[in-house]
Amino acid sequence: MAATAALDRVRTRLRKGAADWARRRQGPDRLPLTLARRRLYILPTRVGMGFAALVLTMLAAALNYGNSLALLLTFLLAGFALVAMHECHRNLLGVALLEAAAQPLFAGSPGMLRLTLANLTRLRRYRIRAAVEGQAAVTVDLPTDGRVQIELPIPALERGLRRIERLRVSSSHPFGLFGVWTWVHAGIEVIVYPRAAGSMPLPPARGAGSGASSRGTAGADEWIGLRPFRDGDSPRQVAWKAYAREAPLLVKEYGSTGSPLRMLSLEDARQPDIESRLAQLARWIVDAEAGGHLYGLELSGERIGAHRGADHRHRCLSALALYGS
Amino acid sequence: MSIARTAAFEARTPLLWVCAASAAATLLHATQFSAWITLTALALTGWRLAAALGEVRLPGRLVRILLGLSLIAAVLAQFHTLNGLASGTAMLILMASVKLLETGARRDQYIVIGGALFLLLAACLDGQSLARVPLYALTALLCCSALAVVAYTPGTDEGRFTTSAGLRPREVVALAARTLLYATPLAILLFLFFPRLPGHLWTLTSGEDAVTGLGDTLTPGSITRLTASYDIAFRVRFDGRPPPPEERYWRGPVMNTFDGATWTRGSYSPGGTQRLDCLSRPYGYRIYLEPTFRRWWLALDTVMFSPSPDVRYTGDYELIATSPVEQPLSYHALSCTNSRSLGPLTAEARLEDTQLPPGRNPRARALALRLRRGAGSDVAFVRAVLTFLRAGGFSYSLTPPPLGADPIDDFLFDTRTGFCGHYASAFVDLMRAGGVPARVVTGYQGGQWNPYDGTFIVRQSDAHAWAEVWLEGRGWTRVDPTAVVAPERLYRGILDLLPNAVSASARLVHAWPWLGSALERWEAVNGWWNERVVSFDDRSQLELLRELGFHSPELRDAAWAFALTLLVWLAWISWQLGKGAGSERPDRLGRAYLRLCRKVARAGLPRAPQQGPLAYAQTIIRYRPDLRLRVGPLLEQYAQLRFGPASPAARDRELRSFERAVARLSVQRRRKLTPRARASRGR
Repeated sequence: MAATAALDRVRTRLRKGAADWARRRQGPDRLPLTLARRRLYILPTRVGMGFAALVLTMLAAALNYGNSLALLLTFLLAGFALVAMHECHRNLLGVALLEAAAQPLFAGSPGMLRLTLANLTRLRRYRIRAAVEGQAAVTVDLPTDGRVQIELPIPALERGLRRIERLRVSSSHPFGLFGVWTWVHAGIEVIVYPRAAGSMPLPPARGAGSGASSRGTAGADEWIGLRPFRDGDSPRQVAWKAYAREAPLLVKEYGSTGSPLRMLSLEDARQPDIESRLAQLARWIVDAEAGGHLYGLELSGERIGAHRGADHRHRCLSALALYGS
Repeated sequence: MSIARTAAFEARTPLLWVCAASAAATLLHATQFSAWITLTALALTGWRLAAALGEVRLPGRLVRILLGLSLIAAVLAQFHTLNGLASGTAMLILMASVKLLETGARRDQYIVIGGALFLLLAACLDGQSLARVPLYALTALLCCSALAVVAYTPGTDEGRFTTSAGLRPREVVALAARTLLYATPLAILLFLFFPRLPGHLWTLTSGEDAVTGLGDTLTPGSITRLTASYDIAFRVRFDGRPPPPEERYWRGPVMNTFDGATWTRGSYSPGGTQRLDCLSRPYGYRIYLEPTFRRWWLALDTVMFSPSPDVRYTGDYELIATSPVEQPLSYHALSCTNSRSLGPLTAEARLEDTQLPPGRNPRARALALRLRRGAGSDVAFVRAVLTFLRAGGFSYSLTPPPLGADPIDDFLFDTRTGFCGHYASAFVDLMRAGGVPARVVTGYQGGQWNPYDGTFIVRQSDAHAWAEVWLEGRGWTRVDPTAVVAPERLYRGILDLLPNAVSASARLVHAWPWLGSALERWEAVNGWWNERVVSFDDRSQLELLRELGFHSPELRDAAWAFALTLLVWLAWISWQLGKGAGSERPDRLGRAYLRLCRKVARAGLPRAPQQGPLAYAQTIIRYRPDLRLRVGPLLEQYAQLRFGPASPAARDRELRSFERAVARLSVQRRRKLTPRARASRGR
């Protein structure tokens, strides 16, 4: 048991060393990028080793008996493996990585990286595996002139602006005898929000007056956002322009002066340390958004006016994520 | 529900392929073993398939172990050993099918495919005939396809798999076939140049292999077993003119000892070979011997020396190898059909070759003594016995009545019906009774000319027995008593003589000559296969290297030749497979279009990267109105071909005309218009 663990450690170390060597050799990458020969690496898989052992055994038997047909079969299988190596190599050669973007995620919980793979050549590609290094892989087939968007799991990260340094794209198609792979060092940035935690209740809404005064531009027709059409909505409120752009039927929402505003500030979050306070703020933002409130954010030296909607939430949480950096 | 069903189906697909590969490899051995082995393996495979379909349950671990142990016991009971090619193969067949019963993990499936490939190898070791090669190729294809399917199907440990293209069965087979096809040149190169071993590293017992061909003993009736067979015994290619039919005696084992019913090879070994005096030009020829599992090598009577250091040349002019003939082999020999043995017969040999069992066949002995008394010399005695056979009302038949305790007496005086074995036995018996040293020689007589590859084919049905007598001054002299009784035997072969006595296939060939001709062609191809492929060995390899210009062929040269050709193959493969993978190479239409654009660009009007064909045409027409009719339609044609609808056939025709037009097009750089030209244009 301990031996396998040690072996695994050695394997991980070797792999890390090889990847770092490849990084120094290849330099940094920028997407989009087409996989070229000089960055593809290929080695026999465990099945390939087994196949080699089989062929060697067959060779010994055929040579011993001086049996011509058995020798021919053995050599055919040896050639088969060599051709399979070339086929495996070309299965990855020329595959394009068009873009990679990570959805923002909360610290301590896993996230997703969206990777767009494309095949601009005339060959169909099978079983291309892609993974954030060290994470579970996703396997796809790429038809000719096809592009596929896949979601790769990202590990849990610390708060802040993080970079996913290394992607691994690999394949062992067609016969599983060889594995070809490449490392892509595109330095994909991902915003990691603070963990949404804390048990303090949402601070009370300030009065309409105070909210208005704090924003200075409050009015009866303050633009809040778009929401899906519901029966009974006035046709004048429908966002026809958006509808013309083939968006679903949406309704423009305007706030009234009476909307309660919640300004969330670092001082209100009474927690022992700064990370916990940020976590409490994140909790409040998530709750406020879910509750449909208008909310703003006051950090030391930064102020985000009250609003709501997915973009606003992202803006506020990003400010928390980047706080102090 | 439907998702679960799809998942189950996907898990089943590789299993189907693996079962098919395993069953195919098992069936290759169906004729080799008793039926229970094949049937058990197929039944277990069927069980696995039924379990995959949800019809029955898979056996538990205990049942599998018990099943495995009982199958091992059954193989042991049948073969009495596990250390042999046959028993090992049987074992592998059964264990692979038991392995199949385990869960459908990928590792198990890989192991079963490996087992199937090994069974294929065992089948090659068992039989190398050309007729089986397509079956082997199919099995190899099936195994490789199964490998592709198993590798394509994601394992449980592999995370999610989104498939948009999929790999259909036809594509799997095409993929495996293409890979094997690309591998074939390398296989042939390796076959030709990979250093061979001159001998065996280890030997496994061959089990109960069928023994064909001539035996160590001869009873008057024993040759019939051979004459009923249409199989090829060996083929011969003469260096020059072949000998006439009456000289085509192929010498095999010589029988010296007679117990009254059965002839056996003598126990004595003469001090040395009786030297031969060749009275005519010797014949050089090469023999391609089929496996007999005996140690005899056949040669034209009488061979002058041993064709190989592994083969002993006996005092009776036989060739006996150190090991049985298990693979087809070929050798070159030199024979003298008209020869004389020099030197006197030793007293010991004379005693041996006149020995008869006391008290057996008394009537034959009396006849011999009577005839010998009436003859003035040994030669006259021989003639008298032959006259007796010719005039005594004897007839030639492959189905003679059975003989009693004194077979020679019964044959000579009662049944008077028999074939070569009877006549040779009786003749030698009479000779010995008359005091003339004599012996029975077995072998083959005749041979059928195959016009398609210029060889003589000698079949088992050409098996023959004749006699040799020692005559003072001439030495051992061949006498064929059968030829006296049925002279046409020498010229026409046994088929014409006794059509009913031989095998059905031989009769078919005899009835329909075209079938015979087709058979001859097939046998010519087969002969080539046996000669060039099956019996290609270390010696043929050195010969090949010599032909290729390596003057002192050594292993090192073979390695060099091999390395060189390997590099060429690798370059070819990577070029062949690299095509279309790395770069985004345009298709045929795109290439023609790019050629067109290059031609116009050379004239000073390059296409902007974002310009489509029609926009480009407008630009060209604006700056070069003179090109309007030449380039404009071409660009429109391109746009039509690229984006317009068309049937494939029409599109192909259009494409070709487009390519031709582009090839014909030549665009000159515009000359500066001189004022005069401008003026002339104005008019």
